[in-house]
Amino acid sequence: MNDSPIVSAVDVRRIFGEGEAAVKALDGVTVDFPTGGFAAIMGPSGSGKSTLMHILAGLDRPTSGSVTIDGADLSQLDDSELTELRRDNVGFVFQFFNLLPVLNAEENILLPVKLAGRDPDPERLAALIEAVDLGDRLSHRPAELSGGQQQRVAIARALLAKPAVVFADEPTGNLDSRSSEEVLALLRRAVDEFGQTVVMVTHDPTAAAIADRVLVLVDGRIVRDEGAETPEQVLDLMKQAA
Amino acid sequence: MGRIALRNLWERKLRTTLTALAIVLGVMMVGATYVLTDTIDRSFEDIFTQSNEGVDAVVTKREVIEADDGQVPPFSEGILRMVERTDGVAEAAGGISDPQVAIIGSDGEPRGGNGAPSFGFSVVPERFDPLTYVEGTKPATDDEVVIDKATADAEGFGIGDQVTIAGKAAARSYTVVGIATLGDIDSFGGATMALLTLPEAQRITGKEGQLDQVQVAAAEGTSPDQLAANLTAALPRSVQAETGEQNVESQREDVGEFINILRTALLIFAGVSLFVAAFLIFNTFSITVAQRTREFAMLRTLGAKRRQILGSVVTEAFVTGLLASAIGLLAGIGFAQVIKALFDAIEIDLPSTGTVVEPRTVILCLVLGTALTVVAALIPAARATRVPPVAGLREGTVVATPRERRLRTVAAIALTVLGIAGMLLGLFGVLDPGEAWVGVGAGAVFIGVALWSPRLVRPLASLVGRPLERLRGVPGRLARENAVRNPSRTAATAAALMIGLALVSFVAVFAAGLRGSIDDAIDKTLAGDLIVSNTDGFSDIPVAAVDAVAGVDGVEVASPIRYTQDDVEGAGEGFLTLVDPATAAEVLTLDWREGSQELLTELTPEQAVIDEGWGSDNGLGVGDTFDAKTASGETLTYTVTGTFKDTTDFIGDYAASDANASAYGEGQNVTNVFVNLADGTDTGAVRAAIDERLAAQFPTTKSENQEELKDSIGAELNTLLGVVYALLFLAVIVSLFGIVNTLALSIHERTRELGLLRAVGTSRRQVRRIVRYEAVITSLIGAILGAILGVVFAVIVSRPLADEGFILSIPVGTLLILLVLAIIAGVIAAIGPARRASRLDVLEALAYE
Repeated sequence: MNDSPIVSAVDVRRIFGEGEAAVKALDGVTVDFPTGGFAAIMGPSGSGKSTLMHILAGLDRPTSGSVTIDGADLSQLDDSELTELRRDNVGFVFQFFNLLPVLNAEENILLPVKLAGRDPDPERLAALIEAVDLGDRLSHRPAELSGGQQQRVAIARALLAKPAVVFADEPTGNLDSRSSEEVLALLRRAVDEFGQTVVMVTHDPTAAAIADRVLVLVDGRIVRDEGAETPEQVLDLMKQAA
Repeated sequence: MGRIALRNLWERKLRTTLTALAIVLGVMMVGATYVLTDTIDRSFEDIFTQSNEGVDAVVTKREVIEADDGQVPPFSEGILRMVERTDGVAEAAGGISDPQVAIIGSDGEPRGGNGAPSFGFSVVPERFDPLTYVEGTKPATDDEVVIDKATADAEGFGIGDQVTIAGKAAARSYTVVGIATLGDIDSFGGATMALLTLPEAQRITGKEGQLDQVQVAAAEGTSPDQLAANLTAALPRSVQAETGEQNVESQREDVGEFINILRTALLIFAGVSLFVAAFLIFNTFSITVAQRTREFAMLRTLGAKRRQILGSVVTEAFVTGLLASAIGLLAGIGFAQVIKALFDAIEIDLPSTGTVVEPRTVILCLVLGTALTVVAALIPAARATRVPPVAGLREGTVVATPRERRLRTVAAIALTVLGIAGMLLGLFGVLDPGEAWVGVGAGAVFIGVALWSPRLVRPLASLVGRPLERLRGVPGRLARENAVRNPSRTAATAAALMIGLALVSFVAVFAAGLRGSIDDAIDKTLAGDLIVSNTDGFSDIPVAAVDAVAGVDGVEVASPIRYTQDDVEGAGEGFLTLVDPATAAEVLTLDWREGSQELLTELTPEQAVIDEGWGSDNGLGVGDTFDAKTASGETLTYTVTGTFKDTTDFIGDYAASDANASAYGEGQNVTNVFVNLADGTDTGAVRAAIDERLAAQFPTTKSENQEELKDSIGAELNTLLGVVYALLFLAVIVSLFGIVNTLALSIHERTRELGLLRAVGTSRRQVRRIVRYEAVITSLIGAILGAILGVVFAVIVSRPLADEGFILSIPVGTLLILLVLAIIAGVIAAIGPARRASRLDVLEALAYE
């Protein structure tokens, strides 16, 4: 494991709205994510975890503070450069899968690479397809796949371009427990076998327990940042935070 | 990204089809216009080419001024002798070719319809004869005739039958000795043909001692060009010699003008349909871009660049446009026949043999339809690129930014104001060409009002929706709320219908005004009891009819009137009326500015009374003189003795004495005979005597009193209106597809909501009502805006005509009927979407993501 952070945030604040209606979603967050790490961000609803993830991923801009990904200061990038950075250096996994309904599983996996006008690395593609374990369902459309299968396709899509970091937003939030297990195992494999960095937002203690590190966010601040081996330990962390 | 675009099209087949249909219809009209006019052009070319087969050169009268009726005056028979003496001539034949020799049908009415020529030809030697004798042989004596096959078939005339032929001389009966076609052409577009011996053809056309043309064959070793050159050198300047090919070309040019007018007129309607289609495309793409916000946001998150999003939407538009244009082109080839049938129905028969599809037609249709679709989709596509990546992750969609909304208001005001300014400047001749600027201005006003209309949706929806709500309760209320939920969407949908209805009501208002003005002009100007004119309402009648009418007991005055044209030095084309000074004052009452009725009576061949407006345009007043070049080549000098105000161009630019009729080539023709009956006579009996005499001798004429004249002009106007409405109907259909499309998309969007409504106990029938009322509200908004705009346009366009006596009147009844039709249209448009909405499965709809 390399110690230099691949993603880091310094004193990030994000305020929504103005005047009386203003809401501080993030209130001075400073955090580093080292390469090859698997971090889970937890917290109650409205704690700012999704906002933090959006800002870390360059989908939203902070009101103040700075974010760097792989050495690039996001505040210095214009829209087009930010788009390219997302395309080439960031992978996304969403709660609702967000696959394109008109493309089949394989085409969905290839989409970001095709958007960049490149050809995929055939070895990596083969390895990912093997890992996703879809078998003969690769040519099926999302509507014909189960939730777990769709999410695995989404993970393969996120990993194909060897991104600097993968952000997963409640990846198991819409899945049954068996599918959740498969999806979490795949994310774990991404870190262990493919050497990826994963940052996962979740409020499922079982999911968080698979990570190397758990950050707990309350009212826009990080109140806990340590390892947790089991769901019980995660729950304890949460209780302490509250 | 291209693949995503294509897949999207395929996945949303219904939407794609509805969008494409709008383009299909617009392009179809463009394609049909070109196919039809090209086919007519080719048919005429065939006719002219076949007529000139075996002809190396043709001698005709040199055209001095271009007459609107395309008639070239005859020349003296003596020319034939000069032709025969020219070097390189193997054979020459003089002939008559006159477009006003009618074959009288078994019902006593002349054959052929409005405007189609009824040709009278003279027999020519074998080598020049273009006719194929299906039965019988050529006429050998003066009482024999050959008629065309189409007429023979239609009337059941056969060899040995007696038919009546009417020309300039009194009608008489002939024996049919042959039935012929022109080459292999069975019919040439409603035109009829009668072949007579040369002396008889000359007599019946009033061209004794004269010829319309000399056809010439070259001697061995002389080329047609050489022959034409020899003839030009040998003959006087009053006639011209062309090669056979040149002659075909110049005849084609003459009909080419007519074809161009037809083409332009049809293209205007095609343009309206395409314009409406553009609105529809814009609206559909706007809605689908809004609905796909999540998808675009996700693509952006995954790293799609704005350019790629733009490319995806534009590709969708491009493929839709191209496919639709191709289908539209094919449909247009068929639709050409529909337009032809429409003209046939009002007795304007157009010749068409085969179907001509020029490469130009194909390219134009494809490029136009595709470009229009892409351009109309550009703004929605640009909007799609502005979807921020976060929009896919958060609830709620992004609509127009404040900046866009401000721009919209500015653009709305600017376009409306500039549009009206453009129309006015075009109308008053500041901008050239005026008609085009009026059109461009009107288009700008439409877009401007369409941009404004989202603000008008709420009040208008209240206006038309409240009664529905009172009558129908909750469904009515929900329909109204749905209509105002997304005002820009409702506005754009209604705007498409607005355009069609604005044009329909404009035409209705304008026609009502025209009708009123013509009636007024007849009342004020025409003092006569009866008017004799051609049965078709506008062609000339034989001059001999004047004496025939004058000779009837009880007729006090029979005054001939000739409308004709000349070329006035410094003023260009002049339209004038030749009057009989002895009688004119008794049948015409002019609105004198300087002078009085006596001027008409005292009119010498060197004097003219002029329209005040024409005079001031050309710096002419009482005492001034002007030179007029006439059809015969003679130049006449007139001194102005008086001025009058001519409401609705009844007289034209000026009036002169009919002593000059021959100079104008009108010696044998008059346009009308105005008749005054003696006081105290039995009007009915005298008229019956006149009609009897006309029917016997001049079956191409009819008499009408003032009321009948107004009615027959009104009927002609109505026929024309019918065609205009029929062609505008296409644009209205396109806009109905727009309503269907918007409803379908809105229902798709509200699936979950409809499920909820059904879950809490709304019946299928009530769901259908909600959708139907929304459609009715939308179409009524379009109709109301359209009717208002139509009236405004009519007021604007009639401004320059106001001082020419145009009386603006608003046909309230017609406009109300339009509103009712809009309601019906809304109900029809809602049928499909309403059924779909009512059939939603409640559980599935609720679970809809």
